[in-house]
Amino acid sequence: MIPRQFLITVMILFALTIGMSVYVWQLQKREAATPRGEAKAEHVAPPTSGPMERVTVYVAYDEPGELRGQSISIPLESGRQQRAEGLLQALMTIYTAKNSPHPLAAGAAVNQVFLVDPGVAVLDLNSTFVDGQVSGVQAEELTMASIVQTLSTNIPGLMRVKILVDGKQRDTLAGHADLSGFYDVQQVAELVKELSVQ
Amino acid sequence: MRSNNTKHSPSRLYRLALNAILLLLTLGWLSAQTTSGTASSPGQAALPQAPPASSQVQSPAAPIAASKPLVIIDPAHGGTESGAVLNPAVLEKDVTLALALRLRGDLNARGIMAELVRDADVALSVDDRAAKANSEHPALYICLHATSQAGPMRIYSSMIGEGQENNGPFVDWDTAQSASLAASRSTQQQMVAALQKRGISIRALQAPLRPLNNVTTAAIGIELAPTKADVAELMSADYQENASAALANGVAAAVLPAAATSGALQ
Repeated sequence: MIPRQFLITVMILFALTIGMSVYVWQLQKREAATPRGEAKAEHVAPPTSGPMERVTVYVAYDEPGELRGQSISIPLESGRQQRAEGLLQALMTIYTAKNSPHPLAAGAAVNQVFLVDPGVAVLDLNSTFVDGQVSGVQAEELTMASIVQTLSTNIPGLMRVKILVDGKQRDTLAGHADLSGFYDVQQVAELVKELSVQ
Repeated sequence: MRSNNTKHSPSRLYRLALNAILLLLTLGWLSAQTTSGTASSPGQAALPQAPPASSQVQSPAAPIAASKPLVIIDPAHGGTESGAVLNPAVLEKDVTLALALRLRGDLNARGIMAELVRDADVALSVDDRAAKANSEHPALYICLHATSQAGPMRIYSSMIGEGQENNGPFVDWDTAQSASLAASRSTQQQMVAALQKRGISIRALQAPLRPLNNVTTAAIGIELAPTKADVAELMSADYQENASAALANGVAAAVLPAAATSGALQ
């Protein structure tokens, strides 16, 4: 004769098992029904043309340690990725020029820009860029803030930026500025306020 | 005989199952008691010495009541990781270590206990540095850096956002500083005021600088900068002495009670 308590315990456990199975099944169904943000990551060729547009780029100045917004006119295409690439090219032109306020080595460039929905930009810098970067906390954060703020100001909807070097994860830009995570554009905007006021 | 066995075996099975459940519950209760007992003992909740594999760190317990506050000084870089090559003869790791050794002495002279994360030319990961700081429950963690770019001394706080979801006994390693960010910024401002009062040019900024994000107490970074273009100045005895004394005064203003500060400032 099987004791009644045993039967009751087994029945409760059985009911729980059934209940949990139903719950997991419903979770799976809900997960399958949720539309996923499709990771669109397409490399965009450098823009060669486009209507001239007046944009604000944020330029680092090493001497006072400032970031200054500058209005410039550059050809920009309408696509978001083309815009991002055009803006970064404009910054590289400023930084690699003679008498640059924040010199980078000749040949410093952004290999690729990926805009991943929703609101994430992944930048791939070349090794010449980081090899020529002046090592120092302020010098490196000026570079990072210049790039992130220029993009977020001109690319609507951008929320986070990730920086790679030659396609690979890197701990720091040149020994200081952390590259291990994503930069939140709102936090960078706060930093830019501090870097803009001396 | 056979029918007897059949009759009793489910009962035995039931008792066995019941005993096993009771045993498990007792073990679980004992384990919970042991854990909570350890965590609630003041100053005994040891933080992990090594970087946490699970990207979490136990949140800070109340520091051991001590008559003197403890400051952890972290001379950045070291060993094969030289930091900035300020000039061919001056490496950032040497500048930071020399200043850290002086600063320890100056803080001790002001009634503040100070420990160094490294006191020799050895390489340490940023995770190891944060783990060392977290395990000591200091009043303040300071990491020292140096640059070749002339300008004012810079004092940094972490760039993470405030109000991260870091409640409970464990906090996320990457945002461990979140709960102490207000204390860090307050310390930063107190140090700026103390240094400016003594005529030291200093600038306060946020920075994406590790391991500030991973430290569970007030944490700041200091970046020494030459006043002119000559970076050799950073290793000179005069510069180091002045910088160390100024920083020690700033730290004293931030971590000592107001009454003790006036006596500690030299």
